[in-house]
This record gives sequence, C-alpha cells and structure tokens, in this order.
Amino acid sequence: MGFALFFLLTYLISSLFIVMKKKLNIFENTFIFLLILVININFSWILFEELRFVTVAEETLSYIAFLLNRSLIIPMILVVYVNLFHTFKNKSRRIYLTILSLGTMLLLVGVSIFFQILTYVNWNIGYDAIYFALLHLIAFYTYRFLIKFAYREVNYL
Amino acid sequence: MILWEQLGINELSILMMLIVVFTVFGLLSRRLPRYITLFSLLWGFASAMFFDFTIGGGLFDFYQVNDSPRYELFDLLYYILFAPISYFFIYFYERLEINKKTFVWYIIGWSTLGVGANWLYTQLEIIHFHSGYILPYSFVVFLIVQTITGLYYELIKSRMLTLVNER
Repeated sequence: MGFALFFLLTYLISSLFIVMKKKLNIFENTFIFLLILVININFSWILFEELRFVTVAEETLSYIAFLLNRSLIIPMILVVYVNLFHTFKNKSRRIYLTILSLGTMLLLVGVSIFFQILTYVNWNIGYDAIYFALLHLIAFYTYRFLIKFAYREVNYL
Repeated sequence: MILWEQLGINELSILMMLIVVFTVFGLLSRRLPRYITLFSLLWGFASAMFFDFTIGGGLFDFYQVNDSPRYELFDLLYYILFAPISYFFIYFYERLEINKKTFVWYIIGWSTLGVGANWLYTQLEIIHFHSGYILPYSFVVFLIVQTITGLYYELIKSRMLTLVNER
C-alpha cells in the first residue's frame, strides 16, 4: 500500500512539473534537482545508516517507496516550489506556498511512519521540519547563485 | 561518517587520481559555457552518488566502496572524481562534434572506458563487488547513464539555444 501511494505521488509531482508554467529554465531546474538529490541522499544515509536515528523498512517494496521519496519526490517538490515562488509576486502567497511545501514534506514523513516505511528511533518530526526548512533555503539561494554566476561569458571551444 | 578504516592503496590511488583529473580539468575548463560546466560537474557527482547509494548500499547492496560499508571521507572523494570525468564526457562530445551517426559509438567507447576504470578500481581495492554482481554488469550501468547524459545534454543545449534566440 505504501509503495503504491508513493508511486502515485511520484507520478503526480512529475506530472505537475511537466504541465506547469515554469519560471526557471531547464539548466536551473536540473541543477536544483541534482543538488537537492545529493544533499538528501547524504543526509538520509548518515541519519539512517550511520547514526541509526531513523530506521528504514527492509521489505523490498517499502524500501523502494523510501527510495522514490528520497530521490524523486523531495527534490521535485523543491523544484516546483522554486518555480512557483518566482511566479507569485504577492508576499502572502509566497508564505502560503512555503507553508504548503513544508507541510507536504512533513505529511510524507507522517505517511512513511504510518506505513512503517520509516521508524523514528532517536529523532522527531521537529528535526525533520528544521531540515526541510533548510532544504527550502538551499533551493532558493541556489537559484539566486545561478542567476548571478552561471551565465558569465567564458572562452568557447 | 568516518575518515577512513585503514589507509592503504585505495586511499592513495583516489588521491592521485583526484590530482590527475582536476589538473586536466584545470587545463580544459573555461572552454564550455559556464552553465554547461556547472551542469556537467554536478551531473557526474550526483549520478555516481545516486547509483552507489541505490544499488551499492542499503537493501540493494551489490558492491562496497573502499574498506568498510560505513560512509568514509574517501567514499566522498571517490564520488568527487566523477565530477570532472563528466565534464570530459561533455567536452569531448563537443570537441569531436558528436552527431546522430556517431552518438552510439561515442557512448560505447565511454562505457568501455568506464568498465576498464571499474576493473582498475577493483584491482586497487576501491570497489569490492558482492551479492553476485560481476564487472560486465557495470557496462549496462554505464550504457544507461551515459546515454541519458548525452541525450539530456542535447536537450539542454537545444532548450538553452531557443531561450537565447527568444531573448
């Protein structure tokens, strides 16, 4: 059940990204996706396998559900977030968007715990909230960095 | 995360390879648009990490990097190796003016090179295969990764060109 749900969520977030009007170009979207992927892989590995603050299910389909969340859903949510953030000009809409995005990630953690994909050992949802908030900041400032530095001219081939 | 289990030939080899690839990268960099350089570096680093943390650890554990299944500093340095290598892939893609007719041969060439490097890594004790994983399987992984890299690079190039023309 957990696997089916996470597969559906992967499908939905990917579809949303494909059909939405994008503010960022393909390079910027890819860069943010990859950076968040790298951070999330490292963070989850250190937390789960090294420190063992959280354990992940050993049943194959549940483990695949965890992989889908770690490698696709979380990075895609942040790519969609940065695009929408720069589409919205209104400050309150941007705040609602940030709360919605952060809330969705926390809800995913709740669903993972409900389906026993993840089990908290020495961890709590508050720490996850801090981590997800940091991921939002990283995604936001990465875009700023790219606009500032990625397009400076160099000597071509 | 630990620094290393035991300093040996694998750690020394990784350091030497890092020096070599980053020296070559220093000589060849600034030849492609900066955004392509940034993209290729992160792409190489992320794809190495993605595969290692998906089929090289956790539930699907087909190989181990360095001396222990724990996350070592030299594991991270090993993944960093792939960043300039990914840049070289794009650099020579442009330099050799790869097109539809030569694309497959370019990918097969790089995949063969990748398998050769993988064999060298096993000799240098950087990679240890287990759970039935054998070297030829790496060829499949390289074929998939490098085909996606080439196709995605073409997509980025065409989209960015359209953007420049629109402006």
